[in-house]
Amino acid sequence: MAIEKKKRSFIDIFDEYFDDMERELDRWRESFVEGPSWNLKASTMEPLKNMRVLPTEVVVTVDLPLTKESSLKVKALDQRTLEISAEMRRKMSFKELGVTHHKGEFQRFHAHMQVPVAVQMKKMKTKFKKGMLEIHLPRKQKR
Amino acid sequence: MTEEAKIIEKRKIPSGTIMMFGFPDVGLVGVIAASHLIEELDLDEVAYLDSTLLPPIIVLHEGLPHSPIRVFGNDSVLLVVSETPLSADIIYPIMYALIDWGKSKNVKMMVSLSGIPLEERQDAKELKVFAAGSSAEMLKTIKDGGVEILSEGYMVGPQAIMLQRCSQLGVPAVTLLAQCFYNYPDPEAAAEVLKGLAGITGVKVDIAKLLEKGEEIRVKARDVMKRTQQEMSNMKKGQEYDIPMYVS
Repeated sequence: MAIEKKKRSFIDIFDEYFDDMERELDRWRESFVEGPSWNLKASTMEPLKNMRVLPTEVVVTVDLPLTKESSLKVKALDQRTLEISAEMRRKMSFKELGVTHHKGEFQRFHAHMQVPVAVQMKKMKTKFKKGMLEIHLPRKQKR
Repeated sequence: MTEEAKIIEKRKIPSGTIMMFGFPDVGLVGVIAASHLIEELDLDEVAYLDSTLLPPIIVLHEGLPHSPIRVFGNDSVLLVVSETPLSADIIYPIMYALIDWGKSKNVKMMVSLSGIPLEERQDAKELKVFAAGSSAEMLKTIKDGGVEILSEGYMVGPQAIMLQRCSQLGVPAVTLLAQCFYNYPDPEAAAEVLKGLAGITGVKVDIAKLLEKGEEIRVKARDVMKRTQQEMSNMKKGQEYDIPMYVS
Protein backbone atom coordinates (compact mmCIF):
# COMPACT_ATOMS: atom_id res chain seq x y z
CA MET A 1 0.00 0.00 0.00
CA ALA A 2 1.59 3.23 -1.12
CA ILE A 3 1.32 6.17 1.22
CA GLU A 4 1.47 9.49 -0.53
CA LYS A 5 3.18 12.20 1.39
CA LYS A 6 2.46 15.74 0.36
CA LYS A 7 5.53 17.93 0.52
CA ARG A 8 5.11 20.97 2.71
CA SER A 9 7.34 24.00 2.74
CA PHE A 10 9.01 25.26 5.91
CA ILE A 11 6.70 28.30 5.80
CA ASP A 12 3.60 26.04 5.66
CA ILE A 13 4.80 24.11 8.70
CA PHE A 14 5.63 27.35 10.50
CA ASP A 15 2.16 28.80 9.69
CA GLU A 16 0.39 25.65 10.84
CA TYR A 17 2.38 25.65 14.06
CA PHE A 18 1.36 29.24 14.85
CA ASP A 19 -2.27 28.59 13.83
CA ASP A 20 -2.35 25.65 16.23
CA MET A 21 -0.79 27.74 18.96
CA GLU A 22 -3.30 30.54 18.44
CA ARG A 23 -6.17 28.07 18.61
CA GLU A 24 -4.84 26.65 21.85
CA LEU A 25 -4.52 30.17 23.25
CA ASP A 26 -8.10 30.94 22.25
CA ARG A 27 -9.29 27.81 24.05
CA TRP A 28 -7.23 28.76 27.08
CA ARG A 29 -8.64 32.30 27.11
CA GLU A 30 -12.20 30.99 26.74
CA SER A 31 -11.82 28.59 29.64
CA PHE A 32 -9.99 30.81 32.13
CA VAL A 33 -10.84 34.44 31.51
CA GLU A 34 -14.30 35.55 32.50
CA GLY A 35 -15.38 38.61 30.64
CA PRO A 36 -18.68 40.28 29.87
CA SER A 37 -20.93 38.81 27.22
CA TRP A 38 -20.99 42.17 25.46
CA ASN A 39 -18.64 44.64 23.86
CA LEU A 40 -19.69 48.22 24.31
CA LYS A 41 -17.10 49.65 21.92
CA ALA A 42 -18.42 47.51 19.09
CA SER A 43 -22.05 47.67 20.39
CA THR A 44 -22.22 43.89 20.17
CA MET A 45 -23.54 41.11 22.37
CA GLU A 46 -22.21 37.59 22.36
CA PRO A 47 -24.95 35.06 21.60
CA LEU A 48 -25.32 31.69 23.30
CA LYS A 49 -23.92 28.95 21.11
CA ASN A 50 -23.35 25.24 21.10
CA MET A 51 -21.44 22.72 18.99
CA ARG A 52 -21.93 18.98 18.51
CA VAL A 53 -19.36 16.82 16.80
CA LEU A 54 -21.17 13.93 15.09
CA PRO A 55 -19.59 11.09 13.12
CA THR A 56 -20.21 12.74 9.74
CA GLU A 57 -20.74 16.40 10.54
CA VAL A 58 -20.35 19.20 13.04
CA VAL A 59 -23.57 20.96 14.00
CA VAL A 60 -23.37 24.44 15.45
CA THR A 61 -26.40 26.21 16.87
CA VAL A 62 -26.50 29.90 17.80
CA ASP A 63 -29.36 31.64 19.60
CA LEU A 64 -29.99 34.92 17.78
CA PRO A 65 -33.28 36.34 19.07
CA LEU A 66 -34.57 39.64 17.62
CA THR A 67 -32.31 39.15 14.61
CA LYS A 68 -32.92 40.46 11.09
CA GLU A 69 -32.49 37.35 8.98
CA SER A 70 -31.24 39.36 5.99
CA SER A 71 -28.30 40.69 8.04
CA LEU A 72 -27.06 37.29 9.15
CA LYS A 73 -23.47 36.50 8.13
CA VAL A 74 -21.62 33.26 8.70
CA LYS A 75 -17.99 33.42 7.57
CA ALA A 76 -15.22 30.83 7.61
CA LEU A 77 -12.14 32.78 8.76
CA ASP A 78 -9.95 29.76 8.15
CA GLN A 79 -10.41 25.98 7.97
CA ARG A 80 -11.34 25.78 11.67
CA THR A 81 -12.79 29.17 12.62
CA LEU A 82 -16.32 30.48 12.13
CA GLU A 83 -17.43 34.05 12.58
CA ILE A 84 -21.09 34.82 13.04
CA SER A 85 -22.62 38.28 13.02
CA ALA A 86 -26.16 39.56 12.81
CA GLU A 87 -28.00 42.80 13.22
CA MET A 88 -30.88 43.01 15.68
CA ARG A 89 -34.29 44.32 14.67
CA ARG A 90 -34.02 46.97 17.36
CA LYS A 91 -31.47 48.41 19.72
CA MET A 92 -31.35 47.19 23.31
CA SER A 93 -29.98 49.45 26.00
CA PHE A 94 -28.32 48.47 29.25
CA LYS A 95 -31.35 49.97 31.00
CA GLU A 96 -33.67 47.58 29.18
CA LEU A 97 -31.40 44.71 30.19
CA GLY A 98 -31.82 45.77 33.83
CA VAL A 99 -28.37 47.37 34.20
CA THR A 100 -28.26 50.98 35.41
CA HIS A 101 -24.56 51.45 36.16
CA HIS A 102 -23.49 51.21 32.51
CA LYS A 103 -24.64 53.37 29.65
CA GLY A 104 -24.91 52.20 26.08
CA GLU A 105 -26.88 50.09 23.67
CA PHE A 106 -26.45 47.07 21.47
CA GLN A 107 -27.68 46.30 18.00
CA ARG A 108 -25.56 43.37 16.82
CA PHE A 109 -24.65 39.86 17.81
CA HIS A 110 -21.11 38.76 17.21
CA ALA A 111 -19.37 35.46 17.93
CA HIS A 112 -16.54 33.35 16.70
CA MET A 113 -15.85 29.74 17.40
CA GLN A 114 -13.26 27.07 16.75
CA VAL A 115 -14.27 23.76 15.25
CA PRO A 116 -12.26 21.00 16.99
CA VAL A 117 -12.12 18.59 14.01
CA ALA A 118 -11.34 19.00 10.31
CA VAL A 119 -14.44 20.05 8.32
CA GLN A 120 -15.28 21.06 4.77
CA MET A 121 -16.02 24.73 5.23
CA LYS A 122 -17.00 25.14 1.58
CA LYS A 123 -19.85 22.66 2.05
CA MET A 124 -21.32 24.57 4.98
CA LYS A 125 -25.14 24.69 5.10
CA THR A 126 -27.17 27.03 7.28
CA LYS A 127 -30.75 27.16 8.45
CA PHE A 128 -32.42 29.98 10.39
CA LYS A 129 -35.73 29.48 12.16
CA LYS A 130 -37.38 31.44 14.96
CA GLY A 131 -34.13 33.24 15.77
CA MET A 132 -32.11 30.03 15.97
CA LEU A 133 -29.23 29.56 13.55
CA GLU A 134 -28.14 26.03 12.69
CA ILE A 135 -24.88 25.44 10.82
CA HIS A 136 -23.99 22.05 9.34
CA LEU A 137 -20.35 21.37 8.47
CA PRO A 138 -19.53 17.99 6.87
CA ARG A 139 -16.44 16.44 8.43
CA LYS A 140 -13.36 15.71 6.33
CA GLN A 141 -13.11 11.96 6.17
CA LYS A 142 -9.65 10.45 6.67
CA ARG A 143 -8.48 8.31 3.74
CA MET B 1 -34.33 24.15 58.73
CA THR B 2 -30.68 24.47 59.77
CA GLU B 3 -28.60 27.45 60.85
CA GLU B 4 -26.79 27.18 57.51
CA ALA B 5 -30.03 27.76 55.58
CA LYS B 6 -33.07 29.48 57.05
CA ILE B 7 -36.10 31.25 55.68
CA ILE B 8 -36.73 34.77 56.92
CA GLU B 9 -40.37 35.80 56.70
CA LYS B 10 -41.14 39.40 55.80
CA ARG B 11 -44.86 39.08 56.48
CA LYS B 12 -47.37 36.59 57.83
CA ILE B 13 -47.46 33.51 55.62
CA PRO B 14 -50.94 32.06 55.07
CA SER B 15 -51.40 28.32 55.38
CA GLY B 16 -52.97 26.02 52.81
CA THR B 17 -51.27 27.60 49.79
CA ILE B 18 -49.80 25.98 46.70
CA MET B 19 -46.01 26.33 46.87
CA MET B 20 -44.18 26.51 43.55
CA PHE B 21 -40.48 26.48 42.66
CA GLY B 22 -38.73 28.10 39.68
CA PHE B 23 -34.99 27.46 39.64
CA PRO B 24 -32.39 27.98 36.87
CA ASP B 25 -32.24 24.74 34.93
CA VAL B 26 -32.55 23.49 31.34
CA GLY B 27 -34.02 26.16 29.07
CA LEU B 28 -34.49 28.36 32.16
CA VAL B 29 -38.08 27.11 31.98
CA GLY B 30 -38.73 27.43 35.72
CA VAL B 31 -37.26 30.91 36.08
CA ILE B 32 -39.04 32.30 33.01
CA ALA B 33 -42.35 30.75 34.11
CA ALA B 34 -41.85 32.07 37.65
CA SER B 35 -41.10 35.62 36.45
CA HIS B 36 -44.27 35.54 34.40
CA LEU B 37 -46.31 34.29 37.37
CA ILE B 38 -44.94 37.09 39.58
CA GLU B 39 -45.94 39.68 36.98
CA GLU B 40 -49.36 38.26 36.11
CA LEU B 41 -50.43 37.41 39.67
CA ASP B 42 -48.82 40.59 41.04
CA LEU B 43 -46.98 38.63 43.74
CA ASP B 44 -44.99 40.35 46.49
CA GLU B 45 -41.82 39.21 48.19
CA VAL B 46 -42.97 37.54 51.41
CA ALA B 47 -39.82 35.73 52.54
CA TYR B 48 -36.25 34.97 51.54
CA LEU B 49 -33.56 32.40 52.09
CA ASP B 50 -30.66 33.37 54.29
CA SER B 51 -27.82 30.95 53.85
CA THR B 52 -24.08 30.83 54.32
CA LEU B 53 -24.03 27.98 51.79
CA LEU B 54 -24.79 30.31 48.91
CA PRO B 55 -21.93 31.96 47.03
CA PRO B 56 -21.29 35.54 48.21
CA ILE B 57 -23.96 37.05 45.97
CA ILE B 58 -26.67 39.58 46.65
CA VAL B 59 -29.13 40.84 44.08
CA LEU B 60 -29.60 44.60 44.01
CA HIS B 61 -33.08 45.89 43.30
CA GLU B 62 -33.55 49.67 43.42
CA GLY B 63 -30.28 49.98 45.33
CA LEU B 64 -31.24 47.55 48.10
CA PRO B 65 -29.74 44.11 48.75
CA HIS B 66 -31.87 40.98 48.30
CA SER B 67 -31.18 37.29 48.65
CA PRO B 68 -30.84 35.50 45.31
CA ILE B 69 -33.46 33.03 46.55
CA ARG B 70 -36.73 34.69 47.41
CA VAL B 71 -40.29 33.63 48.12
CA PHE B 72 -43.09 35.59 46.46
CA GLY B 73 -46.72 35.10 47.28
CA ASN B 74 -50.31 36.12 47.88
CA ASP B 75 -53.15 34.51 49.84
CA SER B 76 -53.26 31.37 47.73
CA VAL B 77 -49.77 30.76 46.32
CA LEU B 78 -46.11 30.84 47.34
CA LEU B 79 -43.44 30.91 44.67
CA VAL B 80 -39.75 30.28 45.38
CA VAL B 81 -37.46 31.78 42.74
CA SER B 82 -33.70 31.66 42.49
CA GLU B 83 -31.82 34.23 40.47
CA THR B 84 -28.65 32.18 40.58
CA PRO B 85 -28.12 28.52 39.66
CA LEU B 86 -27.53 26.23 42.62
CA SER B 87 -24.36 24.21 42.60
CA ALA B 88 -24.72 20.46 43.16
CA ASP B 89 -23.11 20.54 46.63
CA ILE B 90 -25.71 22.89 48.14
CA ILE B 91 -28.89 21.62 46.50
CA TYR B 92 -29.77 19.19 49.30
CA PRO B 93 -29.52 21.55 52.30
CA ILE B 94 -31.15 24.44 50.44
CA MET B 95 -34.06 22.37 49.13
CA TYR B 96 -34.54 20.60 52.47
CA ALA B 97 -34.72 23.98 54.25
CA LEU B 98 -37.30 25.31 51.77
CA ILE B 99 -39.42 22.16 51.82
CA ASP B 100 -39.35 21.85 55.60
CA TRP B 101 -40.39 25.51 55.84
CA GLY B 102 -43.21 24.95 53.32
CA LYS B 103 -44.40 21.93 55.29
CA SER B 104 -44.45 24.02 58.47
CA LYS B 105 -46.79 26.42 56.62
CA ASN B 106 -49.12 23.49 55.81
CA VAL B 107 -48.88 24.00 52.06
CA LYS B 108 -51.52 22.10 50.08
CA MET B 109 -49.14 21.00 47.36
CA MET B 110 -45.61 21.71 46.10
CA VAL B 111 -44.99 22.10 42.39
CA SER B 112 -41.62 22.41 40.65
CA LEU B 113 -41.67 24.15 37.29
CA SER B 114 -38.92 22.93 35.03
CA GLY B 115 -37.93 21.50 31.67
CA ILE B 116 -36.81 18.30 30.09
CA PRO B 117 -34.33 18.63 27.22
CA LEU B 118 -35.45 17.64 23.77
CA GLU B 119 -32.67 16.71 21.35
CA GLU B 120 -34.24 18.16 18.17
CA ARG B 121 -36.00 21.02 19.94
CA GLN B 122 -35.67 23.52 17.07
CA ASP B 123 -37.65 21.22 14.77
CA ALA B 124 -40.37 20.36 17.31
CA LYS B 125 -43.83 21.44 16.19
CA GLU B 126 -45.32 21.15 19.66
CA LEU B 127 -43.79 20.81 23.10
CA LYS B 128 -45.11 18.14 25.42
CA VAL B 129 -45.38 18.56 29.17
CA PHE B 130 -44.68 15.66 31.48
CA ALA B 131 -45.00 15.33 35.23
CA ALA B 132 -43.88 13.07 38.04
CA GLY B 133 -45.64 12.87 41.39
CA SER B 134 -44.68 12.22 44.99
CA SER B 135 -47.37 9.56 45.51
CA ALA B 136 -49.93 7.42 43.72
CA GLU B 137 -52.62 10.03 44.59
CA MET B 138 -50.53 12.73 42.94
CA LEU B 139 -50.16 10.63 39.80
CA LYS B 140 -53.96 10.55 39.63
CA THR B 141 -54.08 14.35 40.11
CA ILE B 142 -51.58 14.71 37.25
CA LYS B 143 -53.65 12.49 34.94
CA ASP B 144 -56.86 14.27 35.90
CA GLY B 145 -55.13 17.55 35.07
CA GLY B 146 -54.49 16.30 31.53
CA VAL B 147 -50.70 16.00 31.89
CA GLU B 148 -48.75 12.96 30.77
CA ILE B 149 -46.80 11.03 33.42
CA LEU B 150 -43.05 10.78 33.06
CA SER B 151 -42.94 7.18 34.11
CA GLU B 152 -39.30 6.20 33.53
CA GLY B 153 -36.04 8.13 33.33
CA TYR B 154 -33.63 10.23 35.34
CA MET B 155 -34.30 13.60 36.92
CA VAL B 156 -31.37 15.75 38.03
CA GLY B 157 -31.41 18.99 40.02
CA PRO B 158 -33.50 20.85 42.62
CA GLN B 159 -36.81 19.53 41.20
CA ALA B 160 -35.59 15.95 41.71
CA ILE B 161 -34.72 16.59 45.36
CA MET B 162 -38.02 18.38 45.91
CA LEU B 163 -39.98 15.38 44.68
CA GLN B 164 -37.98 12.90 46.72
CA ARG B 165 -38.09 14.93 49.94
CA CYS B 166 -41.83 15.56 49.61
CA SER B 167 -42.40 11.88 48.97
CA GLN B 168 -40.51 11.05 52.20
CA LEU B 169 -42.40 13.68 54.21
CA GLY B 170 -45.81 12.84 52.78
CA VAL B 171 -46.26 16.28 51.23
CA PRO B 172 -48.24 16.15 47.95
CA ALA B 173 -45.87 17.25 45.20
CA VAL B 174 -45.52 17.40 41.44
CA THR B 175 -42.59 18.17 39.18
CA LEU B 176 -43.75 19.59 35.87
CA LEU B 177 -41.34 19.32 32.94
CA ALA B 178 -41.88 20.92 29.55
CA GLN B 179 -39.82 19.76 26.58
CA CYS B 180 -37.26 22.47 25.91
CA PHE B 181 -33.82 23.46 24.67
CA TYR B 182 -31.06 22.17 26.91
CA ASN B 183 -28.90 25.27 26.90
CA TYR B 184 -30.95 28.09 25.42
CA PRO B 185 -33.63 30.09 27.27
CA ASP B 186 -36.98 28.71 26.13
CA PRO B 187 -40.00 30.99 26.77
CA GLU B 188 -42.25 28.74 24.63
CA ALA B 189 -41.50 25.83 26.95
CA ALA B 190 -42.20 28.10 29.95
CA ALA B 191 -45.62 28.87 28.46
CA GLU B 192 -46.30 25.15 28.10
CA VAL B 193 -45.32 24.40 31.69
CA LEU B 194 -47.73 27.12 32.84
CA LYS B 195 -50.52 25.41 30.89
CA GLY B 196 -49.67 22.19 32.72
CA LEU B 197 -49.69 24.07 36.04
CA ALA B 198 -53.16 25.41 35.29
CA GLY B 199 -54.43 21.89 34.52
CA ILE B 200 -53.11 20.39 37.73
CA THR B 201 -53.53 23.20 40.27
CA GLY B 202 -56.00 25.64 38.76
CA VAL B 203 -53.38 28.45 39.00
CA LYS B 204 -54.08 30.12 35.65
CA VAL B 205 -52.31 33.02 33.97
CA ASP B 206 -52.50 34.52 30.50
CA ILE B 207 -49.47 33.34 28.52
CA ALA B 208 -49.96 35.61 25.49
CA LYS B 209 -47.60 38.30 26.83
CA LEU B 210 -44.95 35.70 27.63
CA LEU B 211 -44.97 34.43 24.06
CA GLU B 212 -45.03 37.97 22.68
CA LYS B 213 -41.93 38.93 24.69
CA GLY B 214 -40.21 35.60 24.01
CA GLU B 215 -37.32 36.88 21.88
CA GLU B 216 -36.67 39.77 24.26
CA ILE B 217 -36.53 37.32 27.20
CA ARG B 218 -34.01 35.22 25.26
CA VAL B 219 -31.71 38.25 24.88
CA LYS B 220 -31.99 39.15 28.56
CA ALA B 221 -31.53 35.62 29.86
CA ARG B 222 -28.23 34.87 28.06
CA ASP B 223 -25.93 35.41 31.03
CA VAL B 224 -28.06 33.46 33.54
CA MET B 225 -28.30 30.65 30.99
CA LYS B 226 -24.52 30.62 30.58
CA ARG B 227 -23.96 30.33 34.35
CA THR B 228 -26.65 27.68 34.56
CA GLN B 229 -24.95 25.65 31.81
CA GLN B 230 -21.79 25.50 33.94
CA GLU B 231 -23.68 24.25 37.01
CA MET B 232 -25.71 21.77 34.96
CA SER B 233 -22.55 20.29 33.61
CA ASN B 234 -21.10 20.02 37.14
CA MET B 235 -24.19 18.21 38.43
CA LYS B 236 -24.23 15.75 35.48
CA LYS B 237 -27.49 17.13 34.16
CA GLY B 238 -26.82 15.39 30.86
CA GLN B 239 -27.83 12.17 32.62
CA GLU B 240 -31.44 13.10 31.84
CA TYR B 241 -30.70 12.05 28.26
CA ASP B 242 -29.53 8.61 29.46
CA ILE B 243 -31.38 5.39 28.87
CA PRO B 244 -32.19 4.07 32.35
CA MET B 245 -31.14 0.64 33.49
CA TYR B 246 -33.40 -0.45 36.30
CA VAL B 247 -32.44 -3.07 38.80
CA SER B 248 -35.71 -4.68 39.91
